[in-house]
Amino acid sequence: MTAIYELRNIIQRYSNRTVLDIPDLEIEKGAIVGITGPNGSGKSTLLRILAFLERPAAGDIFFNGEHVRDIDDRLRRKATLLLQESRLLKRTVFDNVAYGLNARGIRKDLTAKVHEALRMVGLDPGEFAVRSWFQLSGGESQRVALASRLVLEPEVLILDEPTASIDALSGMIITRAILKAREMLGTTIVIVSHDVDWAYGASDEVLSMFSGRIRSKAIENILHGPWQKNHDGTVCMHLDDGQAITAIAPPDGDLFTALLDPEDIILSMDNPGSTSARNTVKGTVVRMNLENGERSVLVTVSVGGFNMTSRVTTGSLSRLGLVPGKQVLMVFKATAFRWV
Amino acid sequence: MGYLVEGFKTAFVILFTGQEETFSAIFTTLKVSTFSITITLAVGIPLGFLLGYYSFPGKRVCRTVVDTLLALPTVVVGLLVYAFISRVGPLGSFGLLFSLKGVAIGQFVLGLPIVVSLTASATEQMENSVRLTLMTLGASPGQLAASSLWEGRYAVLAAAMTAYSRIISEVGVSMMIGGNIKWRTRTITTAIALETGKGQFAEGIALGIVLLGIAFTVNAVVSLARRRASS
Repeated sequence: MTAIYELRNIIQRYSNRTVLDIPDLEIEKGAIVGITGPNGSGKSTLLRILAFLERPAAGDIFFNGEHVRDIDDRLRRKATLLLQESRLLKRTVFDNVAYGLNARGIRKDLTAKVHEALRMVGLDPGEFAVRSWFQLSGGESQRVALASRLVLEPEVLILDEPTASIDALSGMIITRAILKAREMLGTTIVIVSHDVDWAYGASDEVLSMFSGRIRSKAIENILHGPWQKNHDGTVCMHLDDGQAITAIAPPDGDLFTALLDPEDIILSMDNPGSTSARNTVKGTVVRMNLENGERSVLVTVSVGGFNMTSRVTTGSLSRLGLVPGKQVLMVFKATAFRWV
Repeated sequence: MGYLVEGFKTAFVILFTGQEETFSAIFTTLKVSTFSITITLAVGIPLGFLLGYYSFPGKRVCRTVVDTLLALPTVVVGLLVYAFISRVGPLGSFGLLFSLKGVAIGQFVLGLPIVVSLTASATEQMENSVRLTLMTLGASPGQLAASSLWEGRYAVLAAAMTAYSRIISEVGVSMMIGGNIKWRTRTITTAIALETGKGQFAEGIALGIVLLGIAFTVNAVVSLARRRASS
């Protein structure tokens, strides 16, 4: 596999504030890359840079091995971005879907291409092509917006929460259309989604972002606190159900947010007794996701109203007999936390 | 009150019998205002779009000047244009004074700030998502500008109609520049002023009804456009 994107030392600043800092990132051609992270973590900024809608303040981007020096129409037309609440142009559905082709001067088989794109997103061209933009529901609008991008057969399809604010059926159709585009055209897909099932079920790789940085190429548990200082050099976060999580205090004493790798959490049915781990908290399994192409499963456990995720092997999963709704102990060390 | 009722009755008779003098004023009004608004839009829409779409040094000053000119009294426009096109003025040699071309120049000066200001506002208020959407679909800079303007077409239409309402209802420019010459430069508004002065209420009312009809039509189109724009 070759990299379609290579990002080196990318920095983006808005009003002297650094919002994105990515030392190194490669995205393989034809891959599906999921991006997760809380609001304000820099996901949308990264998407706009990948879609060549904005230029980073510093750093180098290589696209298909070519060093991107100037962003021109030719380059921008290779990648297209679908926004969370895509706006349709004040035209008919047909003209919306045909806009990008017209912009590229493509006239050949225009009608056939537009109709095919509409069919891909589950809209009957005979019924929908002549409709105006205001005659569509939210889900239909988003499907038309996706069809407007699929018809362009882009090398890269970038999606920012494409199914967040629409009905379940439209969401399912959109997901299928995206996967079909990848299968038929080899399109590279970069998708931001809060839908963990989707991210882990369909993605070849998941990037977890926080404070403008890619924290790991996997999900991380983000513990915002509030943290209380103890006298023994540890800090403590109290959960709603009376349990507490203990961590070694950060060297600078500045308590903000702690990150915990799912690899560092062990699941157990019985109390492990004397162990070096300071934390043993009880919770209920709420979700299990098989990682795409991996032999591991991400198990999300609700602990005191707070969701924490652990990565376990499929073997451990069957040995523990885990199913959603079952109670389980999460065991992890006070030294396992990283502070940001 | 009797003379008013009588005035309305006579006004309808005038309109339905097609009194030549009255219809001359109506056609002159439509002719000069159509010409004025065409030139005003041809110049004003691109200027307004540039003012709203692009950032440049002095943009705020430009906006303030244009917005101030919105309140320009018609007699002041008449005075200024008169000064330029009168025989002793810099454009005196063109013989524009007391002609419909001269009136059109005055109406252009009157309508231009309205079209520029409202088009600029419409462009500024356009959501950033429109620009982003067009860019993600691969629009070139030229296509981006043209499509953005097209997306704001209902607001621009409202600007055009507002300017037309102002142009068709003004009296200062038509009176001072056109001179209210019968069969030549007499418009609906100058004719109303004249007939009222003469005590001929029926003719004034007849012309007033026509002017109101035009204003009503224009406003109906504007409100329809706004409804479409907000949907």
